[in-house]
Amino acid sequence: MKKALFYSIVLLSNSFLFGQKSENLIPKDAVTVFSINNINLLQKISMDDLVQYEFMEEVHQELFDGSTSGKTLKDAGIDFDQRLNLFYGKTYQNEISGFTFGVKSREQLFDVFDDFHKLDMNYPGVDFYGTFFNNLIIKENTAILIRIEPTMEYIDQMTDSLWYARGNEMPYELFEDEEVEEEEEILNEQEYTNDQTGEESSYPDATENPNIKNYYELRDSVQAVLQARELDRLMKELFIDQVNLSSQDARFAGQMSHEAIGTFYLDNSRNFEKSQGLWYFQTVLPSLYRDIQELYTGNVILGDLILKENKVEFQVVANYGKELGSIYKEMNDSKFDKHVLKYIPQSSTGYFTYNVNLRQAYEQAYKVIMPVLNDEKNAQISMNVLTIELLNEFVNKDALFGTYKGSMFGTFNGIKKIKTKKIEFFYDEETFEYGEREAEAEEDMPIFTMGFSIDRTDIPEKVMKHLSRLTSKFQNCGDYWIFENAILDAAPMYFINRNGLFILTNDEDLAVNHADGYGSEALSRKECKAAKKSGFMFGHIDIEETLNRFPLGVLNPRQEEILQSLKGKSGQFELNSSSTTSEQTKFNLQYSFEGEETTGKHLLDLINSIYVVTTFN
Amino acid sequence: MKKITILFILFLSLVSCIEISDDLTMHNDGSGTLRYKVNLSASKVKVNSVLALDSLDGKKVPSIQDISAKVGEFARILDAQSGISNVLIEENYTDFILKFSCDFTSIMALQSGLANAIEAVSKEKLGSEADEIWITWDGNKLKRSIPAFARAKVKAFKSNELDLLKEGTYTTITRFDRPIDRFENTLGTLSKNKQAVMMKASAFSIKENQDLLENTIYLISAKN
Repeated sequence: MKKALFYSIVLLSNSFLFGQKSENLIPKDAVTVFSINNINLLQKISMDDLVQYEFMEEVHQELFDGSTSGKTLKDAGIDFDQRLNLFYGKTYQNEISGFTFGVKSREQLFDVFDDFHKLDMNYPGVDFYGTFFNNLIIKENTAILIRIEPTMEYIDQMTDSLWYARGNEMPYELFEDEEVEEEEEILNEQEYTNDQTGEESSYPDATENPNIKNYYELRDSVQAVLQARELDRLMKELFIDQVNLSSQDARFAGQMSHEAIGTFYLDNSRNFEKSQGLWYFQTVLPSLYRDIQELYTGNVILGDLILKENKVEFQVVANYGKELGSIYKEMNDSKFDKHVLKYIPQSSTGYFTYNVNLRQAYEQAYKVIMPVLNDEKNAQISMNVLTIELLNEFVNKDALFGTYKGSMFGTFNGIKKIKTKKIEFFYDEETFEYGEREAEAEEDMPIFTMGFSIDRTDIPEKVMKHLSRLTSKFQNCGDYWIFENAILDAAPMYFINRNGLFILTNDEDLAVNHADGYGSEALSRKECKAAKKSGFMFGHIDIEETLNRFPLGVLNPRQEEILQSLKGKSGQFELNSSSTTSEQTKFNLQYSFEGEETTGKHLLDLINSIYVVTTFN
Repeated sequence: MKKITILFILFLSLVSCIEISDDLTMHNDGSGTLRYKVNLSASKVKVNSVLALDSLDGKKVPSIQDISAKVGEFARILDAQSGISNVLIEENYTDFILKFSCDFTSIMALQSGLANAIEAVSKEKLGSEADEIWITWDGNKLKRSIPAFARAKVKAFKSNELDLLKEGTYTTITRFDRPIDRFENTLGTLSKNKQAVMMKASAFSIKENQDLLENTIYLISAKN
């Protein structure tokens, strides 16, 4: 009996230790991963709700077809004892997205993923299913749902290579209406070319059918082949070579050992690599690119989502490499400017303080980056280096950084009525003849305040004095300056240059009645203490009061999308940071929620918001 | 013009206060003058903030230059219509006031001219709305209502925008060369010389009752 018990324990341990885990199916090219540890919380989330999230966009085609109607995750055959991992990654060659999870019942799973059909792929023990967009691969009790797409840059590069190798001319003007005649001529040239090289022979051979495949058809074929090839490479990597993110990145593997409800991983150094804007550096200045890349080495953001009663805490550690870390350390080594607190009213629904020392950051960045640039032999870089060095010598840094020290604060004080002027139509009572007159009007305006710590108050004062000579719209009102019609040609902007702060606001009340601060109406001691205690950053948002009333019109489409992902919720966000060392800065984001929504729903809301923010390309 | 119409609707839905005024002068011979004014000056913060956007509700927001070009195109097309002359447009993009006026030889020329110009600029067929007669005049009696294409736009307002409409006003004035005998709409006010009727209503009440400003005006017979 004892033996039987012992063997049972050994067997169970083995299956626990060596059994396939969903996190081991995350491709190594994943740059961002959200891993939800205890997905029991999500059992009650309906699939219909789930597919509304942005992070489900990549796979939603299968889930939006009615097969999920009225079902919850529990009905989807998912194993709730395994992690649910959402991932996203992009290299120069391809973009991957999807999620990995445990499978409890394949039958139930295919009730949901009913569009998938089985495909033949020769990987032992691995079942392969596909749709037009996505692939579902199941090994034992784990699955990966993945979409892999070659990037347009890579597809274009390969297509161009084939196209020109075949003796064709520039393809882009072929399809303009007036040049249809030329299209025929150029396509005919393909008949005389046949110089395929080894690797290229795996792509569609346009010369076999030269009169049919034009440039765009060739590109489609290249895309299809690349997609299949990339998928095959990934399968080999995952199931034959056992290469995955866990096996390749110890930091990620470490993160997976955390017991937190959810974990987050973002490799910023690879985000740097994927930046297409750096193509010029990569190709023209490879050594400079390598040096800059080195600066970013080790730049990984790791986070844990911790669930408490009516609260989700997101603990984040931003890790840096030594060089970059030294710049951040200097930048964040700044004494908190307590003057800002008296300008934040207790009634503020959203505010932040940002406390940095730009002078120190500049000096350190100069120390770190200039030697890298100095080593470059490129003429353009040399000229730029010379310019920077001369500016460094000639510019009065005391005046520059005394005017803009880097520390700032901002508040959103809700929507207020502001006074504007309007033209009013009026009609003579007897003749009904029409006339126009100027009248007072009131319009709703979001009230913002932005303030900067400043030592050289004389410099903005100088600028404003001269502006007031240029236009009568700019006037000195004693404690503050006013610029009439500065906002949208209708509302005034106020400038307060006092107490070591230069403040811009459209809040008349602040300028007229509180130019020296809100006094007893300012933030409470407790809130002040929290802001002071925080490292370089502190933020507080009353979600319902701020985000739901925030005018989306002032944002660009991307910012609007981020805000939309948070809308409709209630509760508080509070962001704290630790002091920065040369290795890392810690952040703590607390989301305290109210209402009757389930905790799982709030968790997904937060994950979705983080996903939207971090997958920005 | 389609974009401009969309933008106009967006403006209407976003601005808290819009003032619209039409002023129709009818001469005894059936000719006349139409003056139309739209005043968004009480909402210029909102209008400016809309114009500062690239897109709104998934639709591209045109620039002031785009709007002005379309308005000019509308004026040129209308001026070329048979029976329409002296088309004048006054654009004020500081206070967002647009004024338009034209002379017409007959009510039918005015209605078909406007329908043709809207259709040409919007590149969209108005369908049966183009043939709708919204003003009739027989020399002694004038009957007017809001045209179907304008009614449809007002109807398109969503329920959450209705509060905003309450602050908007619509004023309509009809003037004649000779005195008015009587008119049917009780909202109307007669001028001291009895040759003009004015009616005023909120944009909201027009949405609620699209016949609100419909009026039949009877003139004292010219023989008298």
